Amino acid sequence: MLDLRWLRVAAGESVGVTGPSGSGKTSLLNVLTGLDRPERGEIRWGEQEIWRLPEGQRDRWRCRTVGFIFQEFNLFLTLSPLDNVLLPASFRHLTPSRALRGRAQELLEQVGLGGRREPVALLSRGETQRVAVARALLFAPPVVVADEPTASLDVEAAGAVVDLLLSIRQRTNSTLVVVSHDRNLLDRLDRVEMLVNGQIVEPALATAW
Amino acid sequence: MINPLPTVRAEWRRSRAGASAVVVLIGLAVALGVAVTAQERGLRTGSARAADSFDLVVGARGSATQLVLTTVYLQSGLLELVPGSVLTSLQAEPGVAYVAPLVFGDSYAGLPVVGSTADLVTLGGTRPLAQGRVFVSDREVVVGADVLLSLGASFAAVHGSPTLRSEPPGDAAVHSGFDYVVVGRMPRLGSPWDRAIVAPVEALWRVHARPRGHGSDSEDRIGPPWGADVSGVSAIVVKPRSVADAYRLRARYRDERTMAVFPAEVLVELYALVGDARAALSLIALATQTLVVAAVLLTMLAALAERRRLLAVLRALGASRTYVFAAVWSYVSLLVAAGAVLGLVIGWCAALGFSTLLRARTGLALPVGLSGHEVAMAGALVIVGAALALIPAGLSYRQPVAAGLKS
Repeated sequence: MLDLRWLRVAAGESVGVTGPSGSGKTSLLNVLTGLDRPERGEIRWGEQEIWRLPEGQRDRWRCRTVGFIFQEFNLFLTLSPLDNVLLPASFRHLTPSRALRGRAQELLEQVGLGGRREPVALLSRGETQRVAVARALLFAPPVVVADEPTASLDVEAAGAVVDLLLSIRQRTNSTLVVVSHDRNLLDRLDRVEMLVNGQIVEPALATAW
Repeated sequence: MINPLPTVRAEWRRSRAGASAVVVLIGLAVALGVAVTAQERGLRTGSARAADSFDLVVGARGSATQLVLTTVYLQSGLLELVPGSVLTSLQAEPGVAYVAPLVFGDSYAGLPVVGSTADLVTLGGTRPLAQGRVFVSDREVVVGADVLLSLGASFAAVHGSPTLRSEPPGDAAVHSGFDYVVVGRMPRLGSPWDRAIVAPVEALWRVHARPRGHGSDSEDRIGPPWGADVSGVSAIVVKPRSVADAYRLRARYRDERTMAVFPAEVLVELYALVGDARAALSLIALATQTLVVAAVLLTMLAALAERRRLLAVLRALGASRTYVFAAVWSYVSLLVAAGAVLGLVIGWCAALGFSTLLRARTGLALPVGLSGHEVAMAGALVIVGAALALIPAGLSYRQPVAAGLKS
C-alpha cells in the first residue's frame, strides 16, 4: 500500500526517492506517470487530473510529458543509438520529422555519442545508459523519472550519467524524480524522500513537507 | 498516425535466427502445396500438348493406356502387332486424311528408331521441319530436336527398344550393312518424340526381312499406299478428316482384334488418377501448413511471455495499446507473409527442378508456372496467419503495464 498523501513535486525540482527494497519506490513512479491507478486520491498535472483523461490521451500525455529512464536501459540492442532515440517518434508519427531527427542527433551529441552508428549492443553499459537518457529527452519532456539509473553502472560511468542528468535538468529546467540507492546521486538532488512500507518517513529531508 | 514498423524491424533483428527459422518452416510447408499443384497442372498441360498430334490411335486389342504410353510418350512396352490388313483397310477409309503406321523395336545410342511415314513427321504436310527435308528413301531418317546427330551423319541401328533391353547389344544385334543418313530435324515438340529417330517404316521391315507391301518390283518405294502383303505394325496413327469421321472410325475399329482410342480420352482417365493423388497430397500439404502455423502461433505465444517487459517499456515510453497491438500483429503477420512468399518461390523452383528432371529422363516438357491457384493458396495462409496473429496481439493489448515492467 502506497501512501502519498503529502508528496508534492514542484516544477523544476530534482527529487530523490530512496528506501529499502519493496518499500514502493517503483510503484511510486508508476503512479506518478499514470501507469498505475491509485486506489484513492488524484495525480494532477497542473489542473488536469490525469486519470480523468481517456487512455489514449493519457498515453499521449505520458509520451509528451514524461521521460523514462530504467535501470536496465530497455533499449533495442540491435538498433543504432539514433534508431533507439527515435523509436518513441513512431508512437505518434509515420516517419520522424526532420526537426525530430535533428533533435535526436543533437541529444546524442549532448550525451557524447554523436558519431556512433554501431548497434547499442556494442556500447559500454555507461554509453548504453546515456542513449537511454537521450531517448527519454526526445520530446523535451518537462518531467524526467529515473528508476535506479546508476545501479547497473560502475562508479565512473554512474558519475558521468549523474552529471549528464543534472546538467540537462539545469539547462531545460525540467523536473527530475529519481528512485535510487546511490548516495552520490541523491546528495546532488534538491531533496530526498525516504519511503518505507509505502510511506514517506523522513519529513526532515522533505522541504515541502 | 502510428508506425509500428520500427519496433517490428527491431524485433526481427533481435530474434533474427528464430524468426528466419519460422519463415523457412512456413515456406517449406507452402512450397509442398505449391509444388504439388503446379507440377500436376504442368503434367496435364505437357502431356495433353504431347498428344495433340495423335488424334486417333489404332492398336491390337489390349491396354489402351499402354497403347497411348507407347505411341505418344514412347514408353517401351510390348504391344501385340496389328495385322497389315488393318492398315490397308484404314488407308482406304473415306474419312481418313492420312494413316501413319508405327513400328518400334530398333534403337540407336539409347534413342528409339521408329518406323513411320513422312506424314507423321510433317503432320500431313502441315508442320515444316526445323532443318533439312523429310526422308525420300528407306536409308534416310528425320531426327527429333534433341537428338545429337547432325544432318548428313550416318549410323546403324541396333535391334531392341532402348529401355526394354537389359544388356548392351552385341555385334549380332547391330543391323550392320544398313546405315541410315540423317536428312532432316523436326521442330521442338516438347514431347519424347524430341529424342526419337523416325525412319521410313519400310526400312524397319527391310532390316527385319518383313514384306513391305509394295510388291517385289517396287523394292525402294516408301510410304502409302501399301498392298495386301504389308507386314503387321505396332500401332497406327490416324488423322480423321472430321470429328464425325473420328468417332465413326473409333467405333469401326473396336472389335475382337483391334482397339481404336483417342489419346486425349485415355489421358482424361489418367488425369483422374493423378487428380486423386493431387487431392491427397494437397490435403497433406494443407495439414502441414496448419500444423506449422499452429506451431508458429504457439512459439509466438511463448515468445510473448518473454516480451512482456519490452512491451510494457514501450507503453511506459508513451506507446498506446493500439501501437503495441499493431506491432505484435504486424510482426507475426509479416513472418507468415514472408514464409508464404518464400514458399511460392521454393515451390516453383521445386516444380521446375522436377520438370527438368522429367524432361531429361523422358523428353516430356512440363510447362511449369505459378497460377492464381497457388497465389490464392498462399494468400489464404497469409489471411489465416493474420487472423491467428490477433491472439498474441490481443493478449499484448490487454497486458497491464506495471506488471509487465516488474517481469
